[in-house]
Amino acid sequence: MSFSIEKGEIVLIVGSSGSGKSTLLNMIGLLDHPSNGKIFIDGVDTTTLDDNKISSFRNKKLGFIFQFSNLLTDLSVLENVLLPRQIGGTDGAAEKEAIDLLKAVGLEKQMYKRANKISGGQAQRVAIARGLINHPSIVLADEPTGNLDSVTSETIVQLMKSMAKKLNQTFIIVTHDRQHFGQVDKVITIKDGKSYEGEQPSEMEVLV
Amino acid sequence: MLDYFMFLVDYRLKLAKRMLFNKKGSLIGAVLAVTIGILVIHVNFVIFQGLFDAIVRDISNYRNGDVLVTDEADYIDKSDLSIVSWFERIPYVAGATPRLSSTAEMNMTKNGKLIEETRVPIVGVDPFRDIKASTVHETVSEGNYVFSRNSIVLGSNVAADLGGAEVGDSVKVLVVDRFGEDQIRRFTVSGIAKSPGGQGFDYTAVVHIDTLRDMMKRPGDTGSFMVKLNDPSKASEVKEFFLKSFPNDDFLAETIEESAEEQLAGFRSGIAMISMIGYFGMMSSAFAILTIQMMLVNGKTKEIGIMRAIGAKRKDILIVFIFQGMIIGAIGAGVGTAAGLGYTFYAKETKMSFNNSLPLEVSYNWEKIIQTALTSFALAIVASLYPSYRATKLLPVEAMRTV
Repeated sequence: MSFSIEKGEIVLIVGSSGSGKSTLLNMIGLLDHPSNGKIFIDGVDTTTLDDNKISSFRNKKLGFIFQFSNLLTDLSVLENVLLPRQIGGTDGAAEKEAIDLLKAVGLEKQMYKRANKISGGQAQRVAIARGLINHPSIVLADEPTGNLDSVTSETIVQLMKSMAKKLNQTFIIVTHDRQHFGQVDKVITIKDGKSYEGEQPSEMEVLV
Repeated sequence: MLDYFMFLVDYRLKLAKRMLFNKKGSLIGAVLAVTIGILVIHVNFVIFQGLFDAIVRDISNYRNGDVLVTDEADYIDKSDLSIVSWFERIPYVAGATPRLSSTAEMNMTKNGKLIEETRVPIVGVDPFRDIKASTVHETVSEGNYVFSRNSIVLGSNVAADLGGAEVGDSVKVLVVDRFGEDQIRRFTVSGIAKSPGGQGFDYTAVVHIDTLRDMMKRPGDTGSFMVKLNDPSKASEVKEFFLKSFPNDDFLAETIEESAEEQLAGFRSGIAMISMIGYFGMMSSAFAILTIQMMLVNGKTKEIGIMRAIGAKRKDILIVFIFQGMIIGAIGAGVGTAAGLGYTFYAKETKMSFNNSLPLEVSYNWEKIIQTALTSFALAIVASLYPSYRATKLLPVEAMRTV
């Protein structure tokens, strides 16, 4: 399969269970290595990078939002948001940016709470802030609403869309909840190991 | 706030601390392992080094002094006054005293019954100088130390073997003189000596040195000079100075370590073995830490995956878990050293004795204390290396799947 995504786009990857959506996302996120083929991000062939460079690349160019938020429960909300920045090397502006992001996701009052002391919806908002702290080229979200009720899911979707617009941030989102996302820039459907641009096979443009 | 500052300084240290402190059971277990390892070494040191030092102390106080002067020809014929005066001019010297030794047969009549005792070591002392250089006089539990030409102090065992000799009893003493003739004198028991630890004169009789010289037909001869110093660390210096000052004599001079070498050799190897056992104990602590760290790594698999996913390198993960080892080592070394010092303090203040008799010579050996603390700290880090390495080998996607 082959597709390209432009800066600032919100792209949904949809498909039935086991179709390979998450595997695709993991490969784009350099968490998994493709057996063949190439993945270019910002013009860099990421399949040629060694382990250290992959880590740096993930840290600087990619943001992650997971289904279960995957915050470090030993750290506070603020520390979780700061962590990718700390991993990449601290700088003076990090704390202010982290606080601004937490304000943007409506969690400034929770910032000193332990990450395991907040609700699932709040945790996912922290994950969004964490995913954005390093100004990544792409934020990869794997079933970001998969573990949330419909009201909270709606909030998270709107938050991601607003952050994408505000920050001109690219999002690639794997989801089962197509209807929650409404209008997006691009939808890629994975079916039978192939990707199609569009939502219904009849409308799809076969990419590969 | 301090925590947050630490996070900004090095998030790995902070994370290591948080992960560890949020698993209090593991932390306490690991710290206890280090603490017990250190404590065992401290207790061993207090007891066995204390026992060794107590024996050295008693040999020094009762028999050899800090420097023991003898002669290649068994007896020193130089005036004891001149030798003692020479030593007492040295500021480090607390006192010097001549001694003369032989073997005696003794008998006494107790309750109408004659009791004989053979091969009793007998020591001649100068009572006025002896009390400056030796503490044997302090071991006289009944009566007084030798104070006249015909007074004798019996060791408690000698007194018992003589049927329970008491102060005021009369004892007949036979010594063979230098010409092979029996010399017999009657003495009055002035005191009974009893000391813990076996280094005192419990099996010995003590008389005036001039009386023994008369009996041995060795007027003016001395067997040895016992020299006690104010500062025992100057023993080698005093010894060398003495030997250089009398180059034409056949004197032998030995420090306490040299003169008591034979008696102490066995103890030394015993202590070395006990110390080794202590360090093996510390190795066991290291294995305990390794196990606990493995458990911590297993318990934090998901977190490791998350960190790797958001860009942490393998070395960052390695550092987090090595920091954990350092924290365990630092706390364990601190607590263990504090506990060890507490035990040492208790042993010193209570004048702890071995087997309720010989008071241990308890000291703070700072070099050893620091060495023990640093060794256990280093071992805690070494024990963390393998679990840390294992943590770096986890693949992010698989690690994050861990519940």
